[in-house]
Amino acid sequence: MMMKMLAEGGLSVVTDELRSADDDNPNGYFELEAVKRMSAGNVAWFADAEGKVVKVISALLEYLPSKFSYKIIFMEREIKEILASQLKMLTHRNETSRADEAEIEAQFRKHLEIVKPWLVRQPNMKILFVSYNKMLSEAAPLCEKILEFLGAPLDVSRMKAVPRRDLYRNRKDRV
Amino acid sequence: MKTLILGFDSFDPAVFEQMAGQNLLPNLEKFIEHGGYSRLEVCSPPQTEVSWTSIATGTDPGGHGIFDFVHRDPVTYAPFVSILPTKKGIAGEQFVPPYTAKTFFEEAAALGYPATALWWPAMFPARSELPVMTLPGLGTPDIRGQLGVGALFTSENETKPKTIVVKMEGAAKNRFTASLPGPQTAGRDGPRTISLPIAVDVLDDRSVRLTVDKTQIRLSLGEWSEIIELKFRAGMLFNIHAITRFIATSLSGAVRIYALPLQIHPAHSTWHYSSSGSFAKNLWNEVGPYLTLGWPQDTTGLEEGCITDNQFLDLCEKIFERRIQILFHLMKNFHEGVLASIFDDLDRVQHMFFHNRMDVVQDWYKRLDRFVGDVSARVDEWSGKYRYLILSDHGFSDFRNKIHLNRWLLENNYISMKNGGSDLTGVDWNRTKAYAVGLNSVYLNITGREGQGIVQANQIEGILSELNEKLSGWKDSHGSSIVQKIRLKHETYSGPYTRFGPDLVVGYASGYRGSAETGLGKIPATVIEQNTDHWGADHCMDADVVPGVIFANRDLRDFGALSFRDIPFLAIGKHLDQSHLKPPSQATGEGQKDLEERLKGLGYL
Repeated sequence: MMMKMLAEGGLSVVTDELRSADDDNPNGYFELEAVKRMSAGNVAWFADAEGKVVKVISALLEYLPSKFSYKIIFMEREIKEILASQLKMLTHRNETSRADEAEIEAQFRKHLEIVKPWLVRQPNMKILFVSYNKMLSEAAPLCEKILEFLGAPLDVSRMKAVPRRDLYRNRKDRV
Repeated sequence: MKTLILGFDSFDPAVFEQMAGQNLLPNLEKFIEHGGYSRLEVCSPPQTEVSWTSIATGTDPGGHGIFDFVHRDPVTYAPFVSILPTKKGIAGEQFVPPYTAKTFFEEAAALGYPATALWWPAMFPARSELPVMTLPGLGTPDIRGQLGVGALFTSENETKPKTIVVKMEGAAKNRFTASLPGPQTAGRDGPRTISLPIAVDVLDDRSVRLTVDKTQIRLSLGEWSEIIELKFRAGMLFNIHAITRFIATSLSGAVRIYALPLQIHPAHSTWHYSSSGSFAKNLWNEVGPYLTLGWPQDTTGLEEGCITDNQFLDLCEKIFERRIQILFHLMKNFHEGVLASIFDDLDRVQHMFFHNRMDVVQDWYKRLDRFVGDVSARVDEWSGKYRYLILSDHGFSDFRNKIHLNRWLLENNYISMKNGGSDLTGVDWNRTKAYAVGLNSVYLNITGREGQGIVQANQIEGILSELNEKLSGWKDSHGSSIVQKIRLKHETYSGPYTRFGPDLVVGYASGYRGSAETGLGKIPATVIEQNTDHWGADHCMDADVVPGVIFANRDLRDFGALSFRDIPFLAIGKHLDQSHLKPPSQATGEGQKDLEERLKGLGYL
C-alpha cells in the first residue's frame, strides 16, 4: 500500500516488476529482486537508486550500505493481521507453514524489539513509523506527516486515495 | 608498488619529541627535516588490537567489529576475549578470524602485488584463502588455546595468582623431578592434561642440567635457554608440538626453574598459525627458531616475581633481535609489494617501566632508533619509487589509579544487585540500566538486545546524555578530571558492526584506566583503587590522551591532520572500499529460524 501511495504521490520507485499484482496484492508488489541479495554484498544497484523509493523488509534493513543516507518509512501493522495475510499468501503460493504460529508471532515481536532500537540509532537513517491500520482510517493527516518527513512535493490527494477498504482483507477478526 | 612499514607498538609522540629535542634519536629525527613526521590520530578506544586493525582496514571499529579486548554476549552478559573468537563446527570448537574487513594487505594482493604482514595483531587464525603472507601477532594463543601463562617449577611450597606452579619432588641429592603440564585432550573421562617428565640436576650454585622428556639442556643461573622444542603424545599417531624457553632463577636454597607459556610450534601447528604454512616453517628453518605467542614478552612472569626486571628485558631483547633477523631476511628478496612488521617490545617495556624507570624506556627508544638506522641504510639503496612508513598504534600514559566502573554505576543507581555479589552474575537486570564490560565500554541494558533488557528505545538518548554528563564531570579528590571524553557509539563509529559496539566509550584522562576487573564485568568494593602493580602505565585512556606517530619518506604536511583512516592510502595509494562487508544477522540464531523460513517461503528473502 505505501509503495503505491508513494508512486501515486510522484516518487520514482525502483522495481523490477518480477512479481506482478495478484489477489494478495492487487496494487502490485513494487519489489526489487536484488534487495534480497544485499546480504551477499550485492549493492551495485544502489548507484541508480538515489532519490528513489525501494521496498525493503525490516529483516534486510541492516544490509543497507552504510555509505548512503536513508529516509525510512517503517510500516507497522497488527502482528496477527500480518500472520493471517502471510498464511493466505502461502496458500496461494502452494507453500505450507510447518512452524507454530504462536512461535512465529513471538519471533516477529522479538525481531521488532531488536530492529527498532537499532534503527533509531543509525546516524545515516531517519525513520518515520506509520501504522498501516491507522492509514486505513486516517489517511489525510498521515499523508501530511509523510510529506513533511520526505520534504518532497508530493500529490497528497492521489496518495490518500490509495488506502482502500477493499485491501483490508486480513483483519484478525476474520481469521 | 613497493612499501615497507615498521609498526612500533606504543611509540609515544611526547617521549619522541622530548628525546628528539636532545638529539637522542638521530635516525628518526631525519624524517622531521623533510616534513616526514606527524602525530597520528588513533581510533577509539586506543587498544592495541583495535587500533592496528583500524590502521590495516582504514575503518573504525564499526567497520571491523573489534571494539575492546573484551566483548560481551548481549543475551547472557558473559564477557569473552574479542580477538580469539571460536565457532562450533564439524571438527568441534575452532578458532575463527576475529574480523573480515578488507586490509590494505589484501588490496595490494588483489592488485597483483605480494603482501606480507608480520606480527600484526588479530591475524590469528591465518586466513589461508587470502593471498597474504602472515605471521600473527597479538591474539595468537598458546598450545592450550589460551592467551598464555608460564609455569614455575619450585622446590618450595608457594602459589602465584596466574602462573602455573609445580612443586618439584626431591629425587636424590641435588636432583628434583616434576611434570610439565601441556595441552589438554579429550579423554574417556573428560579432558586430560598431557604432561612431560622433567628432571632438574643442580650442578653447582650457578648451573643446572634440565631434562625434559628426552631433551637435555644446561641452564646457567639467570640466563634464558635457547628455544626448546617439545613433543606431547596425544595419541598413538598424534603428537602436539610446542616450544618454550626455560630459565633457572634460583639455585641457592630454593630451586626454581621457570618456563615461558608453551607456544605453537610454527612448523607443526595443528591450527592455522600462518599463511602460508610453509612461510612460517621456512622462516624457522632459514632464520632460526622464534616465539609465536601473541604476547611473548612475559609480563605476567615479571609481575608475579617469577623473573626479574633484567631477565624480562633480556627476553624482550631476544625477541626483538630474532624479529629483526626475520625482517632483514625477507627484505633481501623484497622487490615489490607491501612488507610490514610490528615490533611490540616497547609496549611491554613501557607497561612495566614507564611510571618509574624512564631510563629503561628511553633506552628502548634509542634501541628502536638504531634499528631504524639499520633499516634506512638498506632502504637508501633501493632505486625507483617506494614508500617507507614507521607508525604506532597509540602513545602511552601514566596509570596511577584503577577505575572500577561497575561500582561507580552501582553507586549512581545504574546497576542494582539482587543480593550483593561482586560481578555481573549478581546483578538484578530488571532494575539495571547500564553496565561495563571491557576496559572502555559501557552498554545500556536495552530491551530486545540484552537478554533481560529494560531500557526502551525512547529512553536511550536520555540515559546516554545523563551518563555523559555525570562521567564527564567526574573529578578526583584533587579536582582533576577522571574522564577526558565520553564518546557515544553513533557519533564515533560507522559501518555495519556499529550496532554491536558499546553504547558509550569511556575515554579516561591521563593517570586513570578501567580496571582489569571492570574488563571482566566484576564489581569490586571501591570505585577508585590506587595502582601499585608493576604494570604501572598504559594506553587504554581516551584516544586524544595517547596519540600515535607516523614517519614517512614523504612530506606529510600536505595532509593536514593524519589519522588511522589515512594509512591504507599512505601504504598503497588508495582508500579501501569496505562496501562488500556482510554484517552478522540481526537474527538470534536458532530462535529466529522459523521466522527466516517463513520469510523465505513468502519470497521476501
